[in-house]
Amino acid sequence: MSTSFRRRARGAVALGFVPVLALAACSSGDASAETDDGSVRMLVNITDNLTQAKWEELVLPFEEESGIDVKIEGPSGQSVSESFPALLAAGTAPDVIESIVPGPDTAPELLDLTEHEWASGTPMADLYSTDGTINVVGVGMQEQSLMYYNADLFEEAGITEPPATWDEFDAALAALDSAGVATPVAFASDWATGVQIQQIWHPQQNLTTPGWQQSVADGSSTLGDQFQPVFEHVADWVEAGYTTADDVATDTGTQEANFIAGEVGIYPMGSWFSTTLAASPPDFEVGVFAPPVDDAADAPGPMGATIAFPYMVWKGTANPDGATALVEYLVTDDAAIAKQAEMDSFSREGLEPSDNEYAGLVQELSDSAPSYVVPGNQTVGDYALPVAGFNPKFTELAQGLWQGRSPADVAADLTAWYETEKRG
Amino acid sequence: MARTTTSRRGFVSSLANGLMTIPAAAVYAGLTVVPVGFAVYYSFTRYNGIPSQPPTWVGFENYARVIQDPIGDLRPAVVVTTLIAVVGAFLVNGAALALALLLRRTTPFNTFARVVMFYPHVLSALIVGFLWQAILGPQGAVNNLLESRGTSSLPFLADPDWALATLIVVIVWAQFGVQLVLYLAGLQAVSPELQEAARLDGAGSVQVFRHVTWPALAPTVTVTIVTSVLSLLKVYDVVLGLTNGGPGDATQTWAYEILAVSFANNKVGLACAQAVLLVLVAGILSFTIIALRRRAEEGAEAVG
Repeated sequence: MSTSFRRRARGAVALGFVPVLALAACSSGDASAETDDGSVRMLVNITDNLTQAKWEELVLPFEEESGIDVKIEGPSGQSVSESFPALLAAGTAPDVIESIVPGPDTAPELLDLTEHEWASGTPMADLYSTDGTINVVGVGMQEQSLMYYNADLFEEAGITEPPATWDEFDAALAALDSAGVATPVAFASDWATGVQIQQIWHPQQNLTTPGWQQSVADGSSTLGDQFQPVFEHVADWVEAGYTTADDVATDTGTQEANFIAGEVGIYPMGSWFSTTLAASPPDFEVGVFAPPVDDAADAPGPMGATIAFPYMVWKGTANPDGATALVEYLVTDDAAIAKQAEMDSFSREGLEPSDNEYAGLVQELSDSAPSYVVPGNQTVGDYALPVAGFNPKFTELAQGLWQGRSPADVAADLTAWYETEKRG
Repeated sequence: MARTTTSRRGFVSSLANGLMTIPAAAVYAGLTVVPVGFAVYYSFTRYNGIPSQPPTWVGFENYARVIQDPIGDLRPAVVVTTLIAVVGAFLVNGAALALALLLRRTTPFNTFARVVMFYPHVLSALIVGFLWQAILGPQGAVNNLLESRGTSSLPFLADPDWALATLIVVIVWAQFGVQLVLYLAGLQAVSPELQEAARLDGAGSVQVFRHVTWPALAPTVTVTIVTSVLSLLKVYDVVLGLTNGGPGDATQTWAYEILAVSFANNKVGLACAQAVLLVLVAGILSFTIIALRRRAEEGAEAVG
């Protein structure tokens, strides 16, 4: 055998082993080993309000006091809800997960926090627990059923009082339209279309069918029946030209800018929009009212609300004590709660009034609500719909209203989707 | 003795050559064969992708659901994908070939123009989507310009038909750079002597293209059609950035359905069944195109 042949053969054998060695080097038998250094990885939502720097500031006092290094991570995919299952699948799940609530698939992967006394005292712990088990805790409540309005445009249109009933609401939209307001009621694209329609509908829906999710789950009502009335309202607004197909092709950032620019009469959105308003205060007076109900005597109806800054701990964490201590700090420490309220507005009993005047308006409305109800897109607790992907499908179908689809067809498709998904 | 030495040397040479293929084979197996194998396996299971909750064998249940499509979500996506693949492939190849013919001569301007034409392909598809959304959205640059001139705006992304047409045009813009390079390479290989001979025989430019250039380009055309159809079949990122599948489900593609709907809802088994069917369709289409193009390629060999 010549030297050159031997050299080539040896080289080839070595090359053949390179990928094997590389794979062995890259793989890890124990994913949780990454946090064996005592640090805690926290997956968070990163937005204009919730920046990486603000998260780092939030956990800094905890790091200094506990000596635990907290590593803040943004979502690797489009969102935390998309990233967390992917990280679970990859075996590299973070120790603490923020911004989402457990779903049917992820709930078994989470640490049960029920035994911790502080957990049961957190806001909305009862609404988000399943059969008494707490695996998600938060710092407060984000109101969903809010209608922000341009008070100057209302005045120009001759509307003296914010509408309380559907009839008054329709009359207000007609008046705004007659007054030449470009967009009497603004909807936005992607997730927002579905969320906004649900926000508008929470009060009346929960007056008509309290605990409607349970009625759908036990078969005494259908998802289509639950939402067809609001689809009919939206279809009427589309037909009247109060909202156009352009709206549901316009992202929330642009639509919010339109509101701030004074081009929108009414903008349905959650309490977090008050933080945006405070950051870019409009040069007109802003008001907030509750979505309409059938009967004025019932106004304001139940307030749709979600848990603010939800935190969960991964059951597979290598540092359960550190992760749990971090969550306890985030949801019980007064300074940490105040810092989070600065980052993204929410309500909480006993929380110092915010300097944000728009958050004050929201708080005032929230205080007048007779009760709080969780929306349909929440996937946890005794009021969860037993299917995943509700809001994306709801949005996709509801956008058909802007393309001329009938409310009955959209409602029927929603029911058909639910029945199929429920079967698995 | 000499024969034994030669035979041994041949064996060692073959062994060395075989061993040299191991790295490539290992990478191919590790990055393609193994994942596809897992996808096929998961397609027969109910699985949410979480390792601690093992897959449950359900046989052909996922495939039955895809084919029955009880809530009509995949069928529209297949129609959208077919339209993108067919119309897009024609437009990509037409634009790439036309530009390649214009830019075939190497001059400073043509070199610059080739870089400009290829540039969209360098951009991330997601960025391309967001970029064109900013240009063609309801309050995008084009509509703002139209409105400032007193013209009504155009529903590029707001109307389902317009949104689909816009999506196809944007995808073509983003993808034709690669096909342009392939056509330019193919044109370099066309015999200048043959073209010159045809001209001397009195053929005009169109006749030279039709009877000499086009037949000689046949192998390139096959490659560009197959590669463009394959990339158009799995288009996803541009959709995400430009329309996110909307309005409604007007621009949801097959790949979007797999990645943004099934996978996003932790339906890994169903997503894998949809993906396996997409791979099968892509394979069948590729082999069909290659088979249909064989006659044209034989003509190219004759011209060559």
